[in-house]
Amino acid sequence: MDPLTRQRGPAASLVLALLALAGAATVLATGPLAAPPEALIAALFGEGPPEAELALALRGPRLLAAMTCGAALAGAGAGFQILFRNPLASPDLLGVTSGAGFGAALALLLGAGVFLTQSAAFAGGLHAGALAVACAALTRSGDGRLALILCGIVVGALATAGLGVVVIAAEPYSQLPSITWWLLGSFTRATGAEAVLALAPVALGAAILLALGFRLDVLSLGDEQARSLGLRATPLRLLALAAAALMTSAAVAVAGVVGWIGLLAPHAARRVVGERAGALIPASMAVGALFALLIDRLSTAFGPVEIPVGLLSAAVGAPAFLILFVVTSRRA
Amino acid sequence: MSGLVLEALVAGRVARGGADFRLPPLDLAARPGEVIALIGPNGAGKTTLLKTVAGLIPPLAGRVSRPGPVAYLPPPGAVSAGFSALHLAALGRAGRRRWSPGLAPEDIEAARAALARLEVADLADRPFDRLSSGQQQLVLIARLFVQDAAVCLLDEPLALLDPAHAQAVEAAIRALAAEGRIVLASSHHLPFAARADRVLAIGPDWIEAAAPAHALSPDRVRALFGVETPGCPCCGQALS
Repeated sequence: MDPLTRQRGPAASLVLALLALAGAATVLATGPLAAPPEALIAALFGEGPPEAELALALRGPRLLAAMTCGAALAGAGAGFQILFRNPLASPDLLGVTSGAGFGAALALLLGAGVFLTQSAAFAGGLHAGALAVACAALTRSGDGRLALILCGIVVGALATAGLGVVVIAAEPYSQLPSITWWLLGSFTRATGAEAVLALAPVALGAAILLALGFRLDVLSLGDEQARSLGLRATPLRLLALAAAALMTSAAVAVAGVVGWIGLLAPHAARRVVGERAGALIPASMAVGALFALLIDRLSTAFGPVEIPVGLLSAAVGAPAFLILFVVTSRRA
Repeated sequence: MSGLVLEALVAGRVARGGADFRLPPLDLAARPGEVIALIGPNGAGKTTLLKTVAGLIPPLAGRVSRPGPVAYLPPPGAVSAGFSALHLAALGRAGRRRWSPGLAPEDIEAARAALARLEVADLADRPFDRLSSGQQQLVLIARLFVQDAAVCLLDEPLALLDPAHAQAVEAAIRALAAEGRIVLASSHHLPFAARADRVLAIGPDWIEAAAPAHALSPDRVRALFGVETPGCPCCGQALS
């Protein structure tokens, strides 16, 4: 990292955020119901031409949902990577994603509608995270981070087993396809109201992570160092974990299981702004929003059949991650 | 600033099944500006004692009264961070920023000044992880200046260091004490102990604070480590 890294944190995050917004405008300006950017901006304030207002009303919620989920997963991933000082940490570290998947599948099995399914996913994710934290609190390992990782794996495995039971119990012709579709991830379902509903917990979680700021850097040094530096390590760590779990649960509730964003975006952002939490979290969120946007655009780009976002995210994200890793390791 | 007072302090760890580890009770009054070297064989309980004094481990018995905030520094190589040395040093002020999401500009300036004071200003923008053990240790001691804790507890601050860095770190430790802080540093490097104001020795079943001349006499060193010493057992240098 060069001497500029310190100064360019906020500026780089701003540039990345603007890039994501420009990406959104480009997506709306191309494809079905395309409308030029200036018409869209006018439509935002209710003064645009009817076709721009139609494009905004029909495609806007989905776009908003994609960007919110991408930013949430990336922000939570960055938070976990900092807290655990582990580049492999991703939003499903605490079993949150598996818990949300189990919750949604169970709701679908019981015949719930869209809103109830999403609520069940949200609740499932938060419960899984809380269970992992509670299990870790029972252990007495010196540094609590390893206990949290192991308990997250345990809770994730339990939720995955529960999901397997639901899949077996599901009616193969009516329920199973909707469960499978949900698990593969998609932004199609998002209506305007849902996108806004998801925005609230994501904004709350992001606000907490951003407010923690440099305290996350201190926590990344370990609880002992954090306490030695005069911080109350345990409550702060719990707060950060809760914020990240909140963001992940909200994203999974809206979009289903979309992997790789939470792993890839922080790594990409780190190349630009460095490791400081105050810079890394906003930059990661901007990169995540941009990535989700592109993935969503790609999912409808190949003919009438929509490719599940979760599949595309892995198909694009995994090789991109590999390339990033190879380039980074060769430069170091 | 009043001193650090330990009253019948019993440091140790409780284990299930009766295999407790406990140190003998310790009474100690450290004056501001004093450098106390903590010596003893591996596994004697030096780290346990330091962490107990720091408040990171609860004492099994007795009392610690601290004159102010206490900072604990683990041995070289134990802290890892991907961000810059400057940011790590500035985090010494973390406890003072109650509500703001960022550090204040004066925190960064304090960190810069502390790094310059220890002659490592050129490392400011380098990632901490890429520095050598000796450089890392100097940056961490710079953080102690930034943090301005009344008591600095250093665990093996000279381990893994070459002679030049060891000298620089020892000078930095002395500078910490010269400003009225109490420094308690464990070390296996006996010449460091010989130059300290007092030596706290932890034996198999005893614990004793004494002047360096007494604590490092050949029979005391034999009692502690079981080796004969015309000079320092680690480097051969003459002791006290």
